[in-house]
Amino acid sequence: MLAGRAPPGCCRRIRLLLPPLPCWARRAAGQWASPGLRVPEAAEVERLVQDGLRRRSPLRRFIACPRLARTVQGCLRGGAGPQPVLLECAPGPGILTRILLNAGIRVVAVESNLAFLPNLQSLENSLDGQLRVIYGDFFRLDPLVTGKVKPPALCSDELFETMGVAAVPWRADVPVKVFGILPQRKERNTLWRLLFSLYECSSIYKYGRVELNVFISEKEYKVLTAKPGEVKAYQALSVLWQIGCEIQLLHMEPWSSFITNLKNGALAIPKSTCLPNDHLCLVRLTPRQNLFTGGLKTTNSSTFVFMVKQCFAKPRSRLTDRLNSWSLDSGGKLLRELEIPKSAEMRDLYPEDYRRLFEALQNSSMFTDTWFHDEVLESIRKINL
Amino acid sequence: MSLLRLRPALLGSAPLRAAGSVLRNYSSASTKEKAARNAICERTELLEVLKARVKQLQASNVPEVTVNKVELAPLGNDKYQNPLQKVVAPGPTENQPAPRQRDDNSAWPSSWVEKSKKEMHMRQLKVERRLSIAAQLAAESKVKAKRETNVKTKGKKSLKAKEAAAWSHSHASPHGAYTCSKPRVAAVNKSAKAQRTQRVQEDGDGNQYKILQQTIQSNLECFLFLQQPEKAERFLLSYHRSPVKRRLLNVNAYNIVMRSWARKGHLLRIKRLFSMLASVGLQPNLDSYAAALECLGRNPLSTETIQSWVQQMENNGFHVDELFQKCLFEEDEKEKVLKAIRIVQPNYQLPPPANPQNCKSSLLQDFYFKEKVVSYPKLDFSVQELQERFQQQLEMELASTVTIESVESTKPLTPQAIKARKLLDTLRSRWHDSILQALKKSKHSMSKLKTASGYKILYPYLCLLPDKEYVAIMLQILNTLSPQGESLAVLARELGSKVYDRYITQRKLRSSHLEKVQEVYEDYIHLLAKDSQPDNYLPREYWEKLVSEAGFGPSLHLKDCSWPYMLVMRLGMHMLELLVQAVKVPRNILNPRLEPKLIPVLYHIYSFHSSWQVGLVKPHPIFSQIVSDAAETMLTFNSSAIPMLCPPVPWTSPHFGAFILSDTKLMRFVDGAIQHQLLLEQCPPVNLHPVLDALNQLGNCAWKINQPVLDIIISIFNDKGNEKLDIPPPISEAPKPSVAPSSFSTLNKSQKRELLLCRKKAAEMHSLRMDALYKLSIANYVRDKVFWFPHNMDFRGRTYPCPPYFNHLGNDVTRAILLFAEGKPLGPRGLDWLKIHLVNLTGLKKKNSLQERLEYANEIMEEILDSADYPLTGRKWWMNTDEPWQALACCMEIAKASRSPDPAAYISHFPVHQDGSCNGLQHYAALGRDLIGAISVNLMPCSVPQDVYSAVAQQVEEFRKKDAERGVKIAQVLQGFVSRKVVKQTVMTVVYGVTRYGGRLQIEKRLKEIDEFPEEYLWEASQYLVKQVFSGIKEMFSATRDIQNWLTESAKLIAQSGRTVEWVTPLGLPIVQPYYRSKSTVLNCSMQNLSVKNSNSSQKPDTVKQKNAFPPNFIHSLDSTHMMLTALHCLRQGLTFVSVHDCYWTHALTVDVMNQICRQQFVALHSEKILQDLSEFMLEKYCSPGKETRALWQKKLMEQLSSVPKTGEFNLKEVMDSTYFFS
Repeated sequence: MLAGRAPPGCCRRIRLLLPPLPCWARRAAGQWASPGLRVPEAAEVERLVQDGLRRRSPLRRFIACPRLARTVQGCLRGGAGPQPVLLECAPGPGILTRILLNAGIRVVAVESNLAFLPNLQSLENSLDGQLRVIYGDFFRLDPLVTGKVKPPALCSDELFETMGVAAVPWRADVPVKVFGILPQRKERNTLWRLLFSLYECSSIYKYGRVELNVFISEKEYKVLTAKPGEVKAYQALSVLWQIGCEIQLLHMEPWSSFITNLKNGALAIPKSTCLPNDHLCLVRLTPRQNLFTGGLKTTNSSTFVFMVKQCFAKPRSRLTDRLNSWSLDSGGKLLRELEIPKSAEMRDLYPEDYRRLFEALQNSSMFTDTWFHDEVLESIRKINL
Repeated sequence: MSLLRLRPALLGSAPLRAAGSVLRNYSSASTKEKAARNAICERTELLEVLKARVKQLQASNVPEVTVNKVELAPLGNDKYQNPLQKVVAPGPTENQPAPRQRDDNSAWPSSWVEKSKKEMHMRQLKVERRLSIAAQLAAESKVKAKRETNVKTKGKKSLKAKEAAAWSHSHASPHGAYTCSKPRVAAVNKSAKAQRTQRVQEDGDGNQYKILQQTIQSNLECFLFLQQPEKAERFLLSYHRSPVKRRLLNVNAYNIVMRSWARKGHLLRIKRLFSMLASVGLQPNLDSYAAALECLGRNPLSTETIQSWVQQMENNGFHVDELFQKCLFEEDEKEKVLKAIRIVQPNYQLPPPANPQNCKSSLLQDFYFKEKVVSYPKLDFSVQELQERFQQQLEMELASTVTIESVESTKPLTPQAIKARKLLDTLRSRWHDSILQALKKSKHSMSKLKTASGYKILYPYLCLLPDKEYVAIMLQILNTLSPQGESLAVLARELGSKVYDRYITQRKLRSSHLEKVQEVYEDYIHLLAKDSQPDNYLPREYWEKLVSEAGFGPSLHLKDCSWPYMLVMRLGMHMLELLVQAVKVPRNILNPRLEPKLIPVLYHIYSFHSSWQVGLVKPHPIFSQIVSDAAETMLTFNSSAIPMLCPPVPWTSPHFGAFILSDTKLMRFVDGAIQHQLLLEQCPPVNLHPVLDALNQLGNCAWKINQPVLDIIISIFNDKGNEKLDIPPPISEAPKPSVAPSSFSTLNKSQKRELLLCRKKAAEMHSLRMDALYKLSIANYVRDKVFWFPHNMDFRGRTYPCPPYFNHLGNDVTRAILLFAEGKPLGPRGLDWLKIHLVNLTGLKKKNSLQERLEYANEIMEEILDSADYPLTGRKWWMNTDEPWQALACCMEIAKASRSPDPAAYISHFPVHQDGSCNGLQHYAALGRDLIGAISVNLMPCSVPQDVYSAVAQQVEEFRKKDAERGVKIAQVLQGFVSRKVVKQTVMTVVYGVTRYGGRLQIEKRLKEIDEFPEEYLWEASQYLVKQVFSGIKEMFSATRDIQNWLTESAKLIAQSGRTVEWVTPLGLPIVQPYYRSKSTVLNCSMQNLSVKNSNSSQKPDTVKQKNAFPPNFIHSLDSTHMMLTALHCLRQGLTFVSVHDCYWTHALTVDVMNQICRQQFVALHSEKILQDLSEFMLEKYCSPGKETRALWQKKLMEQLSSVPKTGEFNLKEVMDSTYFFS
């Protein structure tokens, strides 16, 4: 797991000096000539934000200073070769957007606030197709409602069609990169929803291994990358994300570098008692190529998710007890085969252990007992809203 | 309709939702909240600390005096002296804010000594408190909270405040004040004001405290019940010895131990307890002396000893008479005390009963006016018959459960079912044994435990009943568990409260309470029976008279012995754990090919709701399968779920009434809320008389079953049900998924979704079906009997029948099968009223006059007769009405009446309803004398009924037209869709405080029902409409809005000042809004940690709820007052009267009289200066001049409360002539 290794505060900027290419060649490689846009200064951005979000809109965080935007841009740059389209969620005043454009990247901006749209649209019009602006909210993608999706909620099929990105097989390369700042109020919720889409291969993940580059609070980052033994941090979310994605810390930035749309300019840093929470972390979540190999399939992955959640409902209980309480007999034999000690608690198991346990259960046909599936079904209905 | 109206208020009382555990709670809301709370009360806290010290000093002056006086105390006084001095160390004098107290302080040594002492004391308190509390039941969460507070330096101060407040609280508990002697009462009165201010703050921690205190007392009560005085004393000592834990003890705790010794006749032990009391500075109260004298009565020593005790008691300011007037006795205690007294005063006579007081409310002057009393209406039963019925009811309650045949039992039995039943029988007997074994084992291991852990504390509670009763309770729960499972919290509460109920029954039996009730009841029924002398008494008065005449024997209400909620939960959790562990089934029982292995029948699993998780207990599908195969037809209910078979015991106090044995509360409350109970206890009994009398009147209405209708309903129920007629179909009719659900993982998404929908539908159908099954089975069980519904009320005074499933508040189906047991001739206008009632039930002709409705009924007479004669085979006219079943019942009644030779003489048992038209708005309009409003809700006489919903719809339509012309898109889309139906629910609930959010959802739902409405506009359209409805109402009911705003704003300011909104209804019922910021307490159990929302543990009011719920609650308190007034006056006129909130029922003969009384009482009620009185009451309560006006908010509150909204020019008297006011 890469995530744990990146020392905190380190930003992995890879400075690649590419020789200038002729215009057509760059286009072919997914790169555009720099349009040389002017990047507004921080103070100007702040004013834009305050003007833009006058009414009681939900709390949002913006990148204001060009320095930070450049850092982010550096982080987002992948290796050599053709760069996939970059989807920027909620660009707001569009600082990063301009910097990305100047770096020759093709950007699709998804903005949910009508106040920012005109500015972005005029930018779109001034360019030759390098920027595409879409009205919508990326974090309200594919809501589970019947009937038409009401904007700014979005439907992933439409979004990808507008972007002109076709679905690729799971094992293929990353088709789209996404950059965004997770909405703070719904941070955990969003992480869960993304997780469900990932395991179900639905929503954005229907189009392949979409790479997320998101700013999340440090405490959530700690949770995502926690290992057994980190008592407070190691949770169901940790196991599931670590199984599902490669987690890479790209950059850490103090909260104060971002501006909010709050009237008094407050930072509204979420409280955290047990985990450090001094930064926003730019994290790259790349779905694993080998996620759906072995016993885990898109058809049974929700059972896996459910199982892990059940296990972590009471992290200090023993695995054998849990298996017994599920009336899954011969649990002892199973654990022996997996070489998991009988006294193991839920929080002692590594993510890989959970995967192995699940695969073993699948093979041992113990999960054919109907009730477990009923529960899974129930839980999907309740969570996956 | 009434259900809908209830909802907003119920939503207000959300803590019902006390649900499962959240092990990790990520939200930081609590800290935020805490900060906010700190900010509010930081100022006040400091003052409270100081005040608390003053109180503490006052209280601690007492021990010095008593220690000197009690010469009898033989045991180690010095042993207790040391800690006493430590505890009693007073606070630094220079900080005393109240100069009044200075004199008291002068007796104490100079301040610097104390300061150091105090600081040491505090430190010690803090440490010890943490230790002790950690071990305490119910305190688990506090530890957590405290750790957090301790981190902050700010927290320290508040902690000290807590200690101080809590310490003083143990002296000033309302209980102590209530029962203690005159001199002390005087002393209390002296400082009453200071105390009152303090209590509000005190309760914050006092409540947590109270729960602990209650726990200790209920523990001691257990030992008393088990007759184990040694254990009780040991338990008491474990608290008494620790200076910190000791503060949890009050004099009542010591009294309980004294009583256990008194029962054994050990005077020495009692003496020792008296000295213990003295050593900690507590005053013995009347009960203490009663215990001592009882002991002397049992085991008389010398006359001198008794004489000295009596002397000591009198020295403490108690009189011998008070013993018999105020103390509550069990068993033969009273006789023993009297025996002791008569040894020293041979001629002592019991004091005569206090003269019954009469209610002074101006509204009820003629009701209680003795000279023109009419005798109480008689029932159609002889004394003998009522006596037999009482015996039946008693037997049922003694058994505590009733097993009845369900209505499904008429179905033929399949061989499969026979086999499954056999299997189930063998399994059950096996489970019985294994549960019994598990219970014994756990009790054994508990009794071995040395430490007083939370686990050990349960031990006495598992000894109260015979083991097999616990097993029976657990098996009963197992049998009623639905296949979908149930949350742990619900199950635990059910188990715990079942044990509690049986314990109470046992206690009543033990204390020969039952014999006395039996005796009194025997005489009481003479008031009701037809063959005995008429008595000019109300049931309550008569009962009270009989009780006071009976003289000896136990008191009829037990000493307060309710268990704290947390304790009930803990006990329930323990039993649930035993159940889950012990009940197993062979895995291969249905499929012999599998290898044999025992697997648990119940499994424990979590269900997730966004950020929190709820623990569920579900039965294994194997078990559900057997149960469903067996199709058992016996249902087991608590005896209190069945209507009473004899007239209910009249309510005479908040503690006593309704069922014979089953414990019933006068006021329903959410779990753990005790404020109402306290308020009712503090309220002078005479103020409650009108309410009690009204409840008795409602409960005394006898009912019987409409058998033909019941039979038709059961036949449809046992066939395939009928969703249109509201008869839920059986599960076998549930939609089946198109694919077999066996291979779950191979299903694709849409198949999964389909499966999901099928499951959901099946689950819904199951619960609907079970509900109907319960109702119909109970109705079937009492089909040949006459029965009664005892009533109680919610905290706003709205009345409800106690039996939960089958009662007249139910849906159309249940209402249709109920008839008055008493029959009355139709009289000249009765048949017409039946016809009008029928038309009302159809929902047609709502806008027509009564005459037109009657004519319409006559027109369709043929249809009516056809429906009555061939309900299922004819033209089925009745099926297409609003309330089909009641309509059918009414058709049958009309058919019978019209075919009788003389319809006017036809004896009818049929209840005719008169319904208030938008009753909430009626009260608002009357309060504000709002002319336009009054017209639209029929307060003004009109030739045809006015329909407020249509009026609002019209108004909205006008707004819409204007907007459409101005080109507002959504207004154009809505063309032709604005109807009465769309706005009705919102208008109805607006008075009960529905918000825009809720209103939008309601309207959206209605629009969804219209097929033609374009779906993509739903949100926008509902958003638009709700805005228009609100402004439409504002336009029409201007005064209403003003009043609503005034109420809301006042409640907001009151809640912000840290107090709960209280008021008193015009009938004198005190009301308090039980909305507090809930804090959850975590119950550590081995299966799962259960977080129990305890609305009580933090007494800070929930401002939002206090504010939003006040207007609807206030209006509800008014409509309940109106109902009670009508009920009482109907009683005086000899009418049969019952109510479903704002729908009044009586015989067809008496509809006219009832209508008149209803209008008279409405006018009388609103002629009182209701808002003015409210304002005065609140000013007195919340801004009385005695208090320093220390803050801006107080001034603001005062201004707010004083500015009562102006009223309009509507002449209230007009209501008298309004036909459609109630119709």
